[in-house]
Amino acid sequence: MKLTTEQFTALAHELDSVKQQVQQQLGDADARYIRRVLLTQRLSALSGRILMVLGFITPWLWLAGVLLLALAKILDNMEIGHNVLHGQYDWMNDPMLHSRRYEWDIACDAGSWQRTHNFEHHTYTNIIGKDRDFGYGLLRLSNDFRWRLRNLWQGGSYLLLSMLFQWGVSYHELAAQRVFFGKKKPERHSQVSDSELKKAFFGKGARQLIKDYVFFPLIAGPMWLWVLTGNLLANLLRNLWTSTVIFCGHFTKDIYVFSAAECEGESRGQWYYRQMLGSSNFTGPTWLHILTGHLSCQIEHHLFPDIPARHYPAMAKQVQAIAAKYGIPYNTGSFVRQYSTVFLRIMRYSLPGGEKAVKAL
Amino acid sequence: MLGNQSSLTLYFLPLLQHIAPGFLPGQYRARLLYRQWQTADMLKLNFSISGRWPGFVPGQHVVLTFKHNGRYISRPFSICSPLSLWQSQRQIQLCCKINRNGEFTPLLNQLKNGAVVNISKAQGNFAWQQPAAAAVFVAAGSGITPVAAMLLSQRHWLAPVSLFYRCRGAENAALLNDLQQLATRQPLFTLTLSDSRTEPAETLQQQLIANSSNKQFYLCGPAGFMQQIHTALTNNGVNAAQIRQEQFGLVIPAPAEHTTDTKQLTASFIRAGTSTQVTLNPQQSLLQSAEQHGLTPRFGCRMGVCFQCVCDKVSGQVRDLRSGALSSHGTEQIQLCVSQPVTKLVIKL
Repeated sequence: MKLTTEQFTALAHELDSVKQQVQQQLGDADARYIRRVLLTQRLSALSGRILMVLGFITPWLWLAGVLLLALAKILDNMEIGHNVLHGQYDWMNDPMLHSRRYEWDIACDAGSWQRTHNFEHHTYTNIIGKDRDFGYGLLRLSNDFRWRLRNLWQGGSYLLLSMLFQWGVSYHELAAQRVFFGKKKPERHSQVSDSELKKAFFGKGARQLIKDYVFFPLIAGPMWLWVLTGNLLANLLRNLWTSTVIFCGHFTKDIYVFSAAECEGESRGQWYYRQMLGSSNFTGPTWLHILTGHLSCQIEHHLFPDIPARHYPAMAKQVQAIAAKYGIPYNTGSFVRQYSTVFLRIMRYSLPGGEKAVKAL
Repeated sequence: MLGNQSSLTLYFLPLLQHIAPGFLPGQYRARLLYRQWQTADMLKLNFSISGRWPGFVPGQHVVLTFKHNGRYISRPFSICSPLSLWQSQRQIQLCCKINRNGEFTPLLNQLKNGAVVNISKAQGNFAWQQPAAAAVFVAAGSGITPVAAMLLSQRHWLAPVSLFYRCRGAENAALLNDLQQLATRQPLFTLTLSDSRTEPAETLQQQLIANSSNKQFYLCGPAGFMQQIHTALTNNGVNAAQIRQEQFGLVIPAPAEHTTDTKQLTASFIRAGTSTQVTLNPQQSLLQSAEQHGLTPRFGCRMGVCFQCVCDKVSGQVRDLRSGALSSHGTEQIQLCVSQPVTKLVIKL
């Protein structure tokens, strides 16, 4: 560890106070903001679905409909769903916007997401063997993992994962628990039984499939094929976008990865430190931040997962200054630059060898 | 299913709320017509309610909810008006004790006439069971509200009914005018004021015991006060089945002096309809206390990050272990792993 115990305590103190400042001003402005996003999401979903049917007038209306539905799904998954499920709006005490009640327009069951993402990924961020989000058990992203033959074509696996991202996310917990394939890992404990996992997976998945590929095409009558194709395209666009954003958060070039041993019994300051090193940001205009659900500020999100995300860009300035003060690397860059390093990483580690990402802290 | 919400209303809620700000499904809109100070700290609020509201049984309370600084806050209040006001004019009155240092009640005095709030269905089972039999009502302080609703709603008086109203002098007795008028009008009803500044509690207890033969008792007031009377009555031959009382903690938040008493803190954890009473260690998180008593709430990071252990606090106050911030007394969601008990709690797991 590069910092002393006192420095870690001071770091935790400074980051806590950044959080506290924002917490104290939470109020009407935040409530109005998220309600506006919700309203936009509902209006684009409804108008998108209507415009697709109107595609018989001109296909341009259909195209606009597809884009609006994709926008609605992206807003629902990112700025609303992801953030609400993190409890960012629990303080509003609104039945609609509560972490325990919210269900989103994606194949993954909200409860399963909270267990794998909120708990596993956010608590054990980038710890090899504990955070399965580092490569999703599918991609080899550093030399900390043994090379296997299947890694040779992981460029293709990556493309496929991106296209079907919602199903990857949905299957994530079942894969970890070896529900269908593989031997159970003795060290893994689940709060939920396999049958409950299966029920959530198939139940939510079926509901999503019926909604987009049976119900809406059916009520569109003669336009059924247009609607079906449009829904497929909207889901594809959302999948590609969410996957791209999420890959930029933890798999960029200068990301740090940790071993379970070095994180044993870590202090609050050390936890903050690991979150900063294990995440990366990208820059861009406000609309881009909103479309990513402010995961463009992945570092701030990992430090303060329950703070309403619209505050992250402002907090990022303070966090970056704190990082500079303690000499902690702060991983940020343009969207294109960050994404290209992700892509290069996937390609590089499809071949044997390479660097270990676990660096002695 | 179509909207990924439990109902289509929830899916369209953002649109509905855009048109009617503050609208909540399952709640009823109530418009404030006027408010009026009853005493120095008791405020009477007169609401007009949408006709869909299913009505109430005198003695019941409603949960009042409105939006303040982006957040929905709610508190239960007893209805103090007679049934006839609801039946003839679709109006009810709530009599609320305003705690000037509180989070919620001072806001009631800032509501403008015409402001729209949400109210729940009427709740609670504190009701006048046998209106034809002789009864003794005992109310203290703001505990008068449900009792007043019962008495003022009574249409056919068949047996003698007496009310012992304990308060800090007549100037602090809310709803006194209405009750005095009832006493003049109705010979079967007697009203006795018991001034807590001049009259010891024992005097009141003796009066009650002297009056106790073959009567139903209805008690409403602070928990300690009710306990004393209950004990005095049962020690003097009154059957406990003859006594009904309103859990007053539900009517108005626990008074401030209770918050410092951390020795005997308990919580009721309700899960799937069964309630488990647990003695709490105020130094520990609620999650730890619950687990030590064999309960298994859902949990995750145990540091307030993952929101897996969020559950409903029905009543009581908790402190956030991280920031030291105190919660409200009302119904809201809390994270068990970072919440420390401050008062007696009721929690739905």
